[in-house]
Amino acid sequence: MSTLSRRNFVAALGAGAATVWLTAEARDLLAAGKRAAVAAQAQAPFKILTADQAADLDAAASRIVPSDGTPGAHEANVVRFIDESLAGFGKDQRDDVNKLVAELRRLAGERHKGAKSFAALTPGDQDAVIATMEKTKGSHFGLLRAVTVTGMFANPEYGGNANKNGWKLLGFDDHFSWAAPFGWYDRNV
Amino acid sequence: MSDHTHPPLTPLQTTTVKYKPEDEVDFVVVGSGAAGGVVAKELSTAGFRVVVLEQGPWRTERDFVHDELAVFDRSLLTNDYSKSPNTFRKTEKEKAKVQPAVAYGRGVGGTSVHFSANFWRFREIDFNEASRKGTLAGTGFADWPITYQELEPYYTKVDWEVGVAGAPGPFDPPRSRPYPMPPHPPKSTGVLLERGAKKLGWTAFPAPMAIVSKQYDGRSACAQCGFCLGFGCEVRAKSSSLVTTIPKAVATKRCEVRPNSYVRKVETDTRGRVTGVKYFDATKKEIYQRAKAVVVCANGAETPRLLLNSKSNLFPNGLANSSGVVGKYLMFNGAGNAMGQFEHEVNGFKGIVATRVVWDLYELDPKLGLVGGGGFDYRFDVTPIGFGFGGLPPDAPKWGSAYKRELQKQYNRTIVAYGHTSSLPVATNSISLDPEVKDDWGLPVIRMTYQDHPQDLKLYKYFADRSKQLLEASGAVHAWALPTDSQEFSVHLLGTCRMGNDPKTSVVDKNNRAHDVKNLFVVDGSSLVTSGRGQPTMTIQALAFRAADQIVGFAKRHEI
Repeated sequence: MSTLSRRNFVAALGAGAATVWLTAEARDLLAAGKRAAVAAQAQAPFKILTADQAADLDAAASRIVPSDGTPGAHEANVVRFIDESLAGFGKDQRDDVNKLVAELRRLAGERHKGAKSFAALTPGDQDAVIATMEKTKGSHFGLLRAVTVTGMFANPEYGGNANKNGWKLLGFDDHFSWAAPFGWYDRNV
Repeated sequence: MSDHTHPPLTPLQTTTVKYKPEDEVDFVVVGSGAAGGVVAKELSTAGFRVVVLEQGPWRTERDFVHDELAVFDRSLLTNDYSKSPNTFRKTEKEKAKVQPAVAYGRGVGGTSVHFSANFWRFREIDFNEASRKGTLAGTGFADWPITYQELEPYYTKVDWEVGVAGAPGPFDPPRSRPYPMPPHPPKSTGVLLERGAKKLGWTAFPAPMAIVSKQYDGRSACAQCGFCLGFGCEVRAKSSSLVTTIPKAVATKRCEVRPNSYVRKVETDTRGRVTGVKYFDATKKEIYQRAKAVVVCANGAETPRLLLNSKSNLFPNGLANSSGVVGKYLMFNGAGNAMGQFEHEVNGFKGIVATRVVWDLYELDPKLGLVGGGGFDYRFDVTPIGFGFGGLPPDAPKWGSAYKRELQKQYNRTIVAYGHTSSLPVATNSISLDPEVKDDWGLPVIRMTYQDHPQDLKLYKYFADRSKQLLEASGAVHAWALPTDSQEFSVHLLGTCRMGNDPKTSVVDKNNRAHDVKNLFVVDGSSLVTSGRGQPTMTIQALAFRAADQIVGFAKRHEI
């Protein structure tokens, strides 16, 4: 099982405990996070992904959280998060991500004869491929969803959640101080 | 905006005294968490020379970050599995596999730095349930050797020493002094819990929280930022040992806290007395700190591991383990939870974790045929990444525009109803030494063997159903119970050096002294005989104050 898909949030909630995601040392990640913010700003070349891989992952992440009127995975720069994590704390996952891209391309070819990339498919065909992956046991759907969700909602310094687009979608804000009333029900007692 | 103001927080003192390893200090305290902080403060205040050994670093507010990935997925504040892995198996017949099984705070202040700060007292029933309701064959379900009444003055001491906010409710056990400060303002989660409880004929009352609701003892009132569970508090509102007991211990100029000190072994002499502690410093150099007595406060997983790793010719089964029960009777707490979605904004991400609790099912109708009981609160301690993974109902879309719409709509309208429950002490649930896997220091790692008792699984299911019922009574548009499978991971680590009067069936006596070793004390979650209903830290600290009182008395009377 890959690290990025190991997180089982519902099970952890059931146990009443914090989730755990087993990986390397936190400090490396924090350092990587700061670099990621810089890289994103500079539109630097990808560190691990090829341009073609990045295009396919960007397209696939955009089917998980589409840009349908409001910003989605593309605007949140999820693919930059994936590249940065593969360069740092997620380096053990490079193989898995390569396999994910290969699966996307293979299914793209099956869907549309001659298609060499997932990104080249129409959004409708892309959705059909993702739907197939979701139904197929042993596919990399879980990994695709995991990296998209994490890149979407992790702190922006990791390279994703650009312009806090992920947090804005949820209505979450990391504000240092809040005061009552906090929500509708304590305002309207 | 919030109306609280406070003077700038000044850096806390760290070093006021230094001892040499060859100096025989009065006490070495292993661990600086909820219990270790209390013991260090009480012993040094009473005039004794104390060295506290803490495996993790000494952080300050500057080191805390609002970073979900770093704290939950990267163990920023907790035990680092890459250096000290755990192994897990369900039964003794299996070979344990490497997987995270425990999480605890690694750093000065221990788990009290990043915990939620729910500070329920145990009630009288938690101390004598076995004799009042009957024990259960095949378990170690037993009464405590002390009563609630004996512990009550120390619960009150905790309230005032560390700062607990609350107001008594109908099920609050007897208290000798009011809370030192009023409860936090109710969030929408609290208002909805009150509404649901009322409809079911139950009563919600303010949640007791170790988070100060006003300026207290030089610390800021809570800013309600919402980053409690998993995170360190930047304004010193959370009553962790890092900002309460440890600074007071240091201020006595008799207590030295040594961070980055990884304890390997409690040493004994040929008379079977403890002589000090061997540990690795930050450079992995081994140091032997001599002491007249040792107090182990390393938590319910690391304490039994240390005792089992401290075997010698006199103690071939591990230190203080003539009973053979060191590491056994591991208890967590159970949970029967549900989630619900509401019509209007709840915004549970703002503010402290819980503002109301319901204790009407603390003891259950005997007709149900269940053992134990529990209490409820409503929370939304679901951080953004976590919500993206599992915040929606199991049948919700997992991707695409429909998924995105649901995330957008439900994040601020979702509540998790927690049913926190008791769990039974079972001898085969244990912490032991893994026979193969070693940590980065070459020591055998924690091996957990755990399977929830069938009675407990029934109890968790009952509470999950009640949690769902509560949410519906609160007006949830949609509610669903969460699975209650047998647990494989915990942050509540209890019972592994249990307290008792009989040296054959327990590790420490009613004063937290090891039956086998006169100058060795064990003070943390490991001495709990029963699990309580979900929030053990308050009781761990009350026990620590009580044990410290006893230890001071013994030391002054030369009875150690």
